[in-house]
Amino acid sequence: MEKTSTNNSRRTFLKSSLLAGGGLMIHFSGLAKFALPSGSAETHLIQLTEINGYVKISADNMITLICPNPEFGQNVMTSLPMMVAEELDVDWKKVIVEMGPHDSVKLGGQFTGGSNSVRSYWRPLRMAGATARNMLMQAASQTWAVPIEEITSKAGILYHEKSGRKGTYGEFATKASAIPVPKDVKLKAVKDFNVIRTSQKNVEGTKIISGKPLFGLDYKHEGMLIAMIHHPPAFGMKLKSFDASAALKMPGIKNVFSLKLYEDGFEQAGFDVRSFNDLLVVVGKTTWEVMNARKKLLVEWMPAGDVIDTMGGRGGKRDVIVPGALENTTAQLQKMREFAKKPAQQLRKDGDPETAFKNAAQIIERTYDAPFLAHNCMEPMNFFAHVTDEKALLVGPLQAPGLAEPTLSKILNLPADKIEIQMTRMGGGFGRRAYTHYATEAALISKKVKAPVKLIYSREDDTTYGIYRPMYTATYRAALDSNKNLIAFHVKGGGIPEHAIHANRFPAGAVDNYLAEGWAIPSNITIGAFRAPRSNFNAAAEQSFLDELAEAMGKDPIDFRLELLKRAKENPVGKNNEYDADRYAGVLKLVREKSGWTGAGDKKFSRGVAAYFCHNSYAAHVVDMTMRDGEPYVERVFSAVDCGIVINPDAASNMVQGAVIDGIGNSLYGGLTHKNGVVEENNFHKYRIIRMHEAPKTVDVSFVQNDIDPTGLGEPPFPPVFGAVANALYKVHGRRFYQQPFLLSKPDGPSV
Amino acid sequence: MITLNINKKNYKLDADPNTPLLWVLRDNIGLVGTKYGCGVAQCGACVVHLDGEAVRSCVTKISRAQGKKVVTIEGLSASNNHPLQKAWLELDVSQCGYCQAGQIMSAAVLLRENKSPTSQDIDDAMAGNICRCGTYLRIKEAIQLAAKESSSDK
Amino acid sequence: MKQFYNKRPSSALRTFFVLGSLFLFVGIMAFGSNLSIDKQSAINVKTNVVKDSVASVNAFKKVYAVLMSPRCMNCHPAGDVPLQGDDSHPHAMLPKRGLDGKGVSAMKCSNCHQPTNTPGPNTPPGNPNWHLPPADMKMVFEGRSPYQLAKQLVDPKQNGHKDMKKLIEHADDDLVLAGWNMGEGRAHPPLSHAEFKKAWITWLTTGAYAPQEK
Repeated sequence: MEKTSTNNSRRTFLKSSLLAGGGLMIHFSGLAKFALPSGSAETHLIQLTEINGYVKISADNMITLICPNPEFGQNVMTSLPMMVAEELDVDWKKVIVEMGPHDSVKLGGQFTGGSNSVRSYWRPLRMAGATARNMLMQAASQTWAVPIEEITSKAGILYHEKSGRKGTYGEFATKASAIPVPKDVKLKAVKDFNVIRTSQKNVEGTKIISGKPLFGLDYKHEGMLIAMIHHPPAFGMKLKSFDASAALKMPGIKNVFSLKLYEDGFEQAGFDVRSFNDLLVVVGKTTWEVMNARKKLLVEWMPAGDVIDTMGGRGGKRDVIVPGALENTTAQLQKMREFAKKPAQQLRKDGDPETAFKNAAQIIERTYDAPFLAHNCMEPMNFFAHVTDEKALLVGPLQAPGLAEPTLSKILNLPADKIEIQMTRMGGGFGRRAYTHYATEAALISKKVKAPVKLIYSREDDTTYGIYRPMYTATYRAALDSNKNLIAFHVKGGGIPEHAIHANRFPAGAVDNYLAEGWAIPSNITIGAFRAPRSNFNAAAEQSFLDELAEAMGKDPIDFRLELLKRAKENPVGKNNEYDADRYAGVLKLVREKSGWTGAGDKKFSRGVAAYFCHNSYAAHVVDMTMRDGEPYVERVFSAVDCGIVINPDAASNMVQGAVIDGIGNSLYGGLTHKNGVVEENNFHKYRIIRMHEAPKTVDVSFVQNDIDPTGLGEPPFPPVFGAVANALYKVHGRRFYQQPFLLSKPDGPSV
Repeated sequence: MITLNINKKNYKLDADPNTPLLWVLRDNIGLVGTKYGCGVAQCGACVVHLDGEAVRSCVTKISRAQGKKVVTIEGLSASNNHPLQKAWLELDVSQCGYCQAGQIMSAAVLLRENKSPTSQDIDDAMAGNICRCGTYLRIKEAIQLAAKESSSDK
Repeated sequence: MKQFYNKRPSSALRTFFVLGSLFLFVGIMAFGSNLSIDKQSAINVKTNVVKDSVASVNAFKKVYAVLMSPRCMNCHPAGDVPLQGDDSHPHAMLPKRGLDGKGVSAMKCSNCHQPTNTPGPNTPPGNPNWHLPPADMKMVFEGRSPYQLAKQLVDPKQNGHKDMKKLIEHADDDLVLAGWNMGEGRAHPPLSHAEFKKAWITWLTTGAYAPQEK
């Protein structure tokens, strides 16, 4: 395949080949055909020596670094190899970066999700770079017969100053690869970093702006057919019968059949979420032909009734009943209201909240709701599969090959080593592509038609056949004494089909009497992770509530939070508080400074502030809002983030800016409703996505500068945007907004 | 048989004249830089130039493209050196990157017609292109940078 | 009612109020009393005009209902962004009119609106000549009262210098006809094209009277 050069100038086509002898690892890129530019003159073969799974070096000192984690726009293909390059001591501008195949032995967990890529690879990748460098130095030490301590490196070249000898890494790569991996290698001190903490450009930037095949949808394979799935029109429905005679007569159509995703009793792992089990499949030559033929299907659907999902996993096998009802959004809301009144599961309790509420001089109670959200990745779900009796090749966009593989292995009845998974760049993920039923579907289709097949979801399929952010509600209560001191805090959250409550997060630990409870309503609407799961609702609700609380107490919203955080630091209540009060306060102080927050607001803008902790990082935003053409418009945002060491500062800013815009869009416009189980917003004409003219003019991003090991960044800046927008809306409208999406909600008056 | 002129090359195709240009580009010709996003002209991921106009290829039948000049992202410049492409790299605009070809193709028409677009002009031209990662600030900045670079080249 | 316009409520509401007041007015006319006609709105043309204010105003009632339906009004917006959908919301992605009414730069009407309707639901309807009225002749329908619209339709300065003949011909204009062929899932105007054309010609040939503002 065409490798990615970090300086965008070396467009050499590489292919690893087998070298004779030397105990070398053999590497052959199976993606080779994927991006092969037909008739490319740049194609030639280069021998690569694999020092370890992440580092390959050619004899002429071309350094190839392997990115273990799938790329969905969070820029890991740049930031992860930067960490290797730092310790390996190579010239970043000359490094080639390649996406690794799925290989959990060589490449670790390979999970893109939970803002965990940088955090989980922080040590392994630096170690990979450092041990590789050490092995190269050992090789030079042996060759030159000088002590290793006397050898230095600089930008891919080894030096022995005393003797004036020098040699490239490439010269020693073969020898180095045979040296046992050293155990104790010292990593660089933070102050010595010269790749990490410097802004480096996206290694695939040139390919992106020139339209090179990168994404799953772009993948091509000899003899490949196209498949599309016709799924039930509503959650709670299933296939009754179908007549494919007209569809089969359409040009280019090879096959139409029904397919069972999981056999009865199949033990689903956590990410084996299935929206529908009986699917109708159309296979043909080209996408357009398949799309047209699908319209000719005559299908009868019927209510599925209650369905049993058999869940596997650590807790042992258990059956879960998925209710068959065809759901409606208004009824869902009503049901949530009923459930909210029932006793719920206690998640955390500090002190004596009951008594405190009984003795309160004032109780403030507010309820917040948020709808299902669809991920709306720009690249709809798709996957390529070529399954034979002996082996399977799967290529496409997915966040977690290590989670997909065991499922594929069970369903295809093939051992894991016969299943090759290759990761393409993803046109967005946001959590959606951790649920790879679409890869399983592609594999089953390929197996059935005995041909290489690419399964493609239309936009409508993608939106109506989703793994959504759940529908949430939460009621917050605060008890104030006669001096307007906060004496008790209570949150009771619920949702369809799960609640969002993180019981051990702020303000837990800062209030003497605290109670967190949760409840859930089962549903057939399939849900999963959506950029900062649960947090994306909590931050909206809790941060709105704190804003309202501060106002009731006559305090500045930032000061109020800082007071609570001071308490949580100096005299924390309870155990297991998840957050670091200092770092939390740090982002609030930074955003206060950067935004010139003066408390009472601003002459030009209506200001809202919010902060949140999730995925081990801290983020705060000040949102400056105006009214424009009758709609609220966020014109300017200040963001402060503490994610420890920032690997690639400019790209990190880009991601925070994106998270802010995503948060504004989803809080104001996002939402998915159901009518008799049918998703009503099936494409962008109804599912409103924020557009350029609705994005702020500026998003000013600041990072807290510290030397703490890096933590997540893809998710943490996202949730507090919702809260900051809600609080700015209050300032612009003079009334609170309790229901998302805010632009469609009717604000309730204060209920006190 | 339909003949299409794409990136200055002629292609003879045996395809239904009602086929959207998008799918002919992607499936028949193998130019996959033009993306499928929505299929209903809502997102702009599929923008190509048809006689210089930023058409949404997902709803543009090949019959309409016959006898006209089609330019895709692959043909926008000789060596990825269109001022917009350079500005996109300079400002490291992309996140996932899926929408960016469409963004650039829309922006190219804007810059051809308006050498120094205001922020409002850019909003007006680019509102048809969705970026789910939210890179709008950098897209706008890159368009402004490209406009500046183009004018200083002269 | 004027006051209501100034507040710019949702277009659906606005339409409702417009129609409501129109019906009220027609009610008054039906009793044949208190009929008030703006004399100046009657146009003088040589061909076949037989002035009949009652018939003219009655015909205009039908014309107005059609012109204010989403299929016609959506492309005759008060601002520079067309409206969209049966609820006449501002067109998604806010395409701008441009000088010639055909859009601007990367957002020209024909970039999405094809020569024919694109098949399927929620796809762009099509016409080879799809456009808004040009910037120098905006022919706004949105928000116009029956009186205002009637006056405007026959004012050569506002109607693209159309005389009686050209106005009558305009009923069969491609884009006018397109109002009855807008693709899957879109409501038709309240009258058939034939009924509309009949009302249109009746209105014009009976003097093109404008219903008096209440």
